[in-house]
Amino acid sequence: MNRTSLSAIFVLPVTAVAIALFTAQSPHAQTTQTAQKLTGQVVFRRQCASCHGEKGEGTAKYHRQLAGDKTQSELAAYISKSMPPGANARRCSVTDSKSVALFIYDAFYSNVAQARNRPPEVSLSRLTVRQFRNAVSDLLASFETFPTRNHSNGLSASYYKLGRPQGQPVLNRIDPQVHFQYGASVPVPQDPDPYQFSMIWTGSVYAPETGEYEFIVRTEHAVQLFVNSTRDALIDATVKSGDRTEYRGSVYLLSGRYYPLRLELYKGVTGVDNLEKVKKHPPAAASISLEWKRPKLAEEVIPERCLTPWVGKPLFSPTTPFPPDDRSIGYERGNSVSRAWEDATTSAALETAEYCGAHSKELAGYADDIKNRDERVHTFCEQFVERAFRHPLTPELKRRYIDAQLAAAPDPAEAIKRVVLLALSSPRFLYLEQGDSHPDSYCVASRLSFALWDSAPDEELMKRASNNELSTPEAVRAQAERMIQDDRAWIKLRDFFMLWLKADQYPDLAKDAKQYPDFDPSVAADLRTSLELELKEIALGDNSDYRDLFKKDSLFLNGKLSKVYGGDLAQDATFREVRMKPGERYGVLTHPYLMSSLAYLKSSSPIHRGVLIYRNMLGRILQPPPAAFAPLAADLHPDLTTRERVEMQTSPAFCHGCHSMVNPIGYTLEQYDAIGRIRTVDNGKPVNCSGYYRTVSGETVSFKGPADLANYIAIAPEAHQAFVEKLFQNLVRQPIRAFGPSELPELQTYFEGNGYSIRKLVVEIATRASLKR
Amino acid sequence: MSHPLSRRELLRTAGASAAMLPFLNGMSSLAESPYNGAPRKQRLIIMFSPDGVVPSTFWPDEEGDSFTLKESLTPLQPFKDRTLILHGVCDKIRGDGDGHMRGIGCLLTGIELFPGNVQGGSDTPAGWASGISIDQEIASYLQRNPANRTRFGSLEFGVMVPERADTWTRMSYAGPNMPIAPISNPYQMFSRLYGHQKDQEMLKSVLDDLKQDMDSVRSAVRGKDRKILDDHAALIRSMETDLTSARVEMKHAVPVLEPGVRQDNDNMPAISKLQIELLVSSFAGDLSRVATLQYTNSVGESRHRWLGINEGQHSLSHEPDSNADAQTKLTKINKWYCEQLAYLAKRLHDTPDPDGTGTLLDSTLIVWTNELGKGNSHTPDNIPFVLVGGAPGFKMGRSLKFPNVAHNRLLLSIAHGFGHQITKFGNPNYCGDGPLILS
Repeated sequence: MNRTSLSAIFVLPVTAVAIALFTAQSPHAQTTQTAQKLTGQVVFRRQCASCHGEKGEGTAKYHRQLAGDKTQSELAAYISKSMPPGANARRCSVTDSKSVALFIYDAFYSNVAQARNRPPEVSLSRLTVRQFRNAVSDLLASFETFPTRNHSNGLSASYYKLGRPQGQPVLNRIDPQVHFQYGASVPVPQDPDPYQFSMIWTGSVYAPETGEYEFIVRTEHAVQLFVNSTRDALIDATVKSGDRTEYRGSVYLLSGRYYPLRLELYKGVTGVDNLEKVKKHPPAAASISLEWKRPKLAEEVIPERCLTPWVGKPLFSPTTPFPPDDRSIGYERGNSVSRAWEDATTSAALETAEYCGAHSKELAGYADDIKNRDERVHTFCEQFVERAFRHPLTPELKRRYIDAQLAAAPDPAEAIKRVVLLALSSPRFLYLEQGDSHPDSYCVASRLSFALWDSAPDEELMKRASNNELSTPEAVRAQAERMIQDDRAWIKLRDFFMLWLKADQYPDLAKDAKQYPDFDPSVAADLRTSLELELKEIALGDNSDYRDLFKKDSLFLNGKLSKVYGGDLAQDATFREVRMKPGERYGVLTHPYLMSSLAYLKSSSPIHRGVLIYRNMLGRILQPPPAAFAPLAADLHPDLTTRERVEMQTSPAFCHGCHSMVNPIGYTLEQYDAIGRIRTVDNGKPVNCSGYYRTVSGETVSFKGPADLANYIAIAPEAHQAFVEKLFQNLVRQPIRAFGPSELPELQTYFEGNGYSIRKLVVEIATRASLKR
Repeated sequence: MSHPLSRRELLRTAGASAAMLPFLNGMSSLAESPYNGAPRKQRLIIMFSPDGVVPSTFWPDEEGDSFTLKESLTPLQPFKDRTLILHGVCDKIRGDGDGHMRGIGCLLTGIELFPGNVQGGSDTPAGWASGISIDQEIASYLQRNPANRTRFGSLEFGVMVPERADTWTRMSYAGPNMPIAPISNPYQMFSRLYGHQKDQEMLKSVLDDLKQDMDSVRSAVRGKDRKILDDHAALIRSMETDLTSARVEMKHAVPVLEPGVRQDNDNMPAISKLQIELLVSSFAGDLSRVATLQYTNSVGESRHRWLGINEGQHSLSHEPDSNADAQTKLTKINKWYCEQLAYLAKRLHDTPDPDGTGTLLDSTLIVWTNELGKGNSHTPDNIPFVLVGGAPGFKMGRSLKFPNVAHNRLLLSIAHGFGHQITKFGNPNYCGDGPLILS
């Protein structure tokens, strides 16, 4: 069955802006209610406002605000019984009372109306789940010393001549990735004996996203794989048993971080030597491949760019599952607490405490028999709590969080567990510094690092804070510029872009295998990588420029993608930027990943494409449709192009209102098929890429094709404003209007005046928001 | 008490508590007894000691219910009428691997080892067993029925099992190529069994400080920002209420372990005692109904210095029958293992069954076994099988002699004792005549 005929056009996640919802009422009922509300408004103004105020705010005659939790009908009954007041006054008619009730309820009386009318403010927020995990992981890592990281790729490889790594290796070198077929011969010429050899690959693996990673090793021989642990193997196949050649192990990793990795391969038996016996036969074949399955993506050989010979330290992160954070208004925020969140937080705090207790000696640097044991434990606890709270401790806090806990548990490991549990359950750890009218340097440091990294300040930032060096915009900007170079800043930006492009939930890119035989899950996974590489180049490259999001004429391709999307790369080519033919590509706007995700199994979807651009890129508000509709099945209309089918289905008047805004934008991208390849023909007819856009001010801008659309979004002020606003809110996780009416226009002016540099904009946003009083 | 808990173990525990014991609700689910009115519980312990026995000081001469315990088995005297000694049960499994590897790897699985890269002192190299072991088979059978389900389907205890994963150190298998590592560190086992509860206690004990500080933070915040903190404070109070009501839930006392017993050869008696304590306690709490207790490993080389024996056990076991000194020492060693068995039986006998009928020993079948019949010949014939306690279909208080029967048939009998009426286990070629009749 064709997926197209099943899925509904309108079942899209609403990521943009809070919207007044249509109810599924008939247009007639809606009209009646609107008219009634208008009547209510007229009656209220005439008869009630003189005492209650225009907005129910109260007056000198009656000072109480009209707000509460009566239902509409209770309000109506009350009004007709008691309003206007006075023993002899003629009461409001039942009909008018109903109209007034309907009007005031919706305009200012109800809780919902109150919330809507309230001017946005910075509100005290707890850490989001992401922030919690990052902060805990980075907090524990702050007690480790890391060697300086270089930026080379691949893994260090050591080749040994015996079946177990012993003595001097016969060869040391860097292997870009581990994917070898040795056959019956030796792995490297320096190895003398094809019957036995062994290798060790070491380095670190970079986690591009947060989640469960499955590591896969394929080999005919014995292996061991360590990921994020020097002690416990993720895959332990030192015993080779049966004809098994594939081993898997899963581990939870946080995005933007490097985890130590060590892979060992052993050819030959263990135990008692049997070489004489086996040498009567030809040597067995050998191969090895180190692969992974990233969260929600296809299996692949771990690519060179995600490996480095640099060896870091194992990093802890809590694996407790959390309930998802609120994202209803277009960015993740910690605006409420719930039982599920409280349980998860406590459970994660316990998990962390358990880890710290088990590793107390390494973390606090003590031994049972040394004299200053208690002192070291105390110092560790003080540092831990201070770093968790991102602030020096008052004597009162020291007493409560450290001294009382140490006194309650004589065993140092138990004491450390208590301190960790209590600190990570504390509101001083769990809530972000906000709304303070006089932010001190520590508060600035914390805001800055959560804005840029979604994590707590690092040592450098804390040092600046303690020296009170974060009071001027210049000083803060210098730190922001340093911090934006850290992988965590890119991860935060990347996650914003993915939300902006509606790719955060990993859209299903399954396509019809007959129509698109070259498009499989591994192409889909590589397209995501290609998109990320392009976004990173545009956002953080030397010439960071927002306009390139719509103008860049190149694509990042590897050999596999090149086969589908052009670019003439060799089959095994790794990712590189490839200039495409003129008129083919316009930045991420037409990136094949986006085009594929905004499409059906077999056909493109101008509506999905139009909606994304209209809402997210142009920042326009769009009401959701009154009901869900399934798209017309292509095979029922064999003579129509996709564009013609969409036009036909959305032609009724009640569709046309919105679809006349959305569809013509989507049509301009009709030259990209369901997998984002260029096409000139759809269903036997030439594609028609003409379209238009009606701007906020009501003008109509016509587009001949994607070039015009791309150019328009790059220069349209409403697009700039939308981008600045969304970026701000995703970094700061607070409404931009809460920072004053001039914040958005000022930042927009800054953006337009600074070559549309995304990098500079990020630094500016983080700096201003951190210093805000 | 400090104990090294591996990261993986921690994660597994955390994962299990997330999946099976939703936070805080876990305690109450442990507290309820879902077994009311259910048929009687049956429990299993398989105890392993290595390197064969000295047949002349092990096997009773007589057959039937009138027999005399030989020197190695004298510690069982108090439980003689609850003991069943099975002579003539042989491990018929051949294939890859040396005698010790097959000895332990096929013992509970009844099936061949896979070919592999572990080369023993003779024969061909081998890998892991190619099938599930009987303890795991029974555990998963019990777990399938909600009335028999326990928090841990099975628990694998070790005593000085070396930190080395190979064919010689594993006897329990969750399936082909899926060996299960026993936990040799009593403190790690304690944490696995009771860590959750300890966590709750610690959490409860820090709540007062947390609440007080929450109040001081709240009082410093004004306006609408108070709401989220008020909500949060209410959640903390509700958590405290739950913790208080969950406190009385554990029906059995959590054992108190002697602290600081290191993993060291000479501590073997102390570790053995701690592990038996934890095992009995886990049964008393009905945390599991299946357990294994593995002393060292196949080819085990522990030095029983507390018996005045300085040689390693495996080296001794290679000495010929004519070396009387060695045979005396080996008899002493096996007697010591038998003492551990008797102590286990005694502790079970001293502990009332939590469902109120009789003692734990009444509902537990202990099977003591070994990877070899005799050390110096490496024979897989006459594998020691000494059973204590009981199970339906097992008439205890006897010494039986079978005419060279496959041990697969005994594995079937054990399954049947749990109501698991399988007709084949392990290599079906050795199951032909069905379970051994032991009633």
